[in-house]
Amino acid sequence: MSSSHTAHGHEEGEHISSMSTYLSIFGALLGLTVLTFAVSYAELPGSWSIVAAIGVASVKAFLVAGWFMHLKYDARFNVLVFLSAFWFMAVFFGFTLTDLTTRGALFDYLDNHAAHAEAGKKYGSPSTFKEGHSGGH
Amino acid sequence: MSTGNETESEVAAGHGEHPAFLAHHFHDAAQQKSAVKLGMWAFLVQEILFFAGLFMAYFAFRALYPETWLVAHELLDKRMGAFNTVVLLFSSLTMALAVRACQLDDIKGSIRYLWITIACALGFMVVKYFEYSHKFHLGLLPGKYYSYDGIEGGAPELFFSVYFMMTGVHGLHVVIGVGIMVWLIFGPLRQGKVSSKYYAVVENTGLYWHLVDLIWIFLFPLLYLVR
Repeated sequence: MSSSHTAHGHEEGEHISSMSTYLSIFGALLGLTVLTFAVSYAELPGSWSIVAAIGVASVKAFLVAGWFMHLKYDARFNVLVFLSAFWFMAVFFGFTLTDLTTRGALFDYLDNHAAHAEAGKKYGSPSTFKEGHSGGH
Repeated sequence: MSTGNETESEVAAGHGEHPAFLAHHFHDAAQQKSAVKLGMWAFLVQEILFFAGLFMAYFAFRALYPETWLVAHELLDKRMGAFNTVVLLFSSLTMALAVRACQLDDIKGSIRYLWITIACALGFMVVKYFEYSHKFHLGLLPGKYYSYDGIEGGAPELFFSVYFMMTGVHGLHVVIGVGIMVWLIFGPLRQGKVSSKYYAVVENTGLYWHLVDLIWIFLFPLLYLVR
């Protein structure tokens, strides 16, 4: 290594949080746990229950990552690396759930198609979907 | 290499200041520290994406069998889950304090906080044991081993496949964490290798432990609470 690498010499992660900081983060985490527990007994309409649960969990995760894991005082690049995990997760979840939740519509389309052209056509059951018939619209 | 304590002769032998913990392929302690930290974060990203597969299974089967999910999750004990959440959050606090103690050169204090963290981890596993044995008893088991007949709705065994897989792999991480912490105490900490100048090994164990906590923060509401 050349001696021009002094750029690495900046003092990161040396920050020492006070005892009261850790205790108040812990207190906030406890409070949010009580909140999420209480909300689970409330009859929230539709999918608001899961939205509330994931919302509160995300705030808790933010507190743990920021203060317990010291990301607040860590190198910005490490923050980026950490956040990249959530980006890849969003891509993974997004495409998979889009596939799962729209398959029904595709099967309906194929079924209708089969009803119109009953004889000789292979469209119809979901199993034909696997054989690569896209329905050709 | 990092054998032995830092001595005058060792410092003299190297080119300039060369502490015992500094591996020869690093330019200086700060560079080593940031490299070690980055490596740990990359590992944690892998851990998150590994668990993402299990979360995906949860959401996929939930989307396919929404009614089953609503009924099946009622069979989990909310209070045990909440108790374990508090235990794990507290263990995260004591782990953060163990790292802080190292920053303050209080090695004995760090060891004390680590023992508390280990006790919490074991407490967590004891509660999990009671939960698991209750479900084994009822036949709430994954896949083909499922034999409970109190749930109406399709494929209830899938919920318990997901439940046991997620909590099982998470529990495995807790047990591995205990192993690492015991090693930390009897290894680097007791052998005097850790100080405020070098505590990356404790810090990275902390990051691992906080991630285990982070996963549970999402597992708890999704499995036990959500309607």
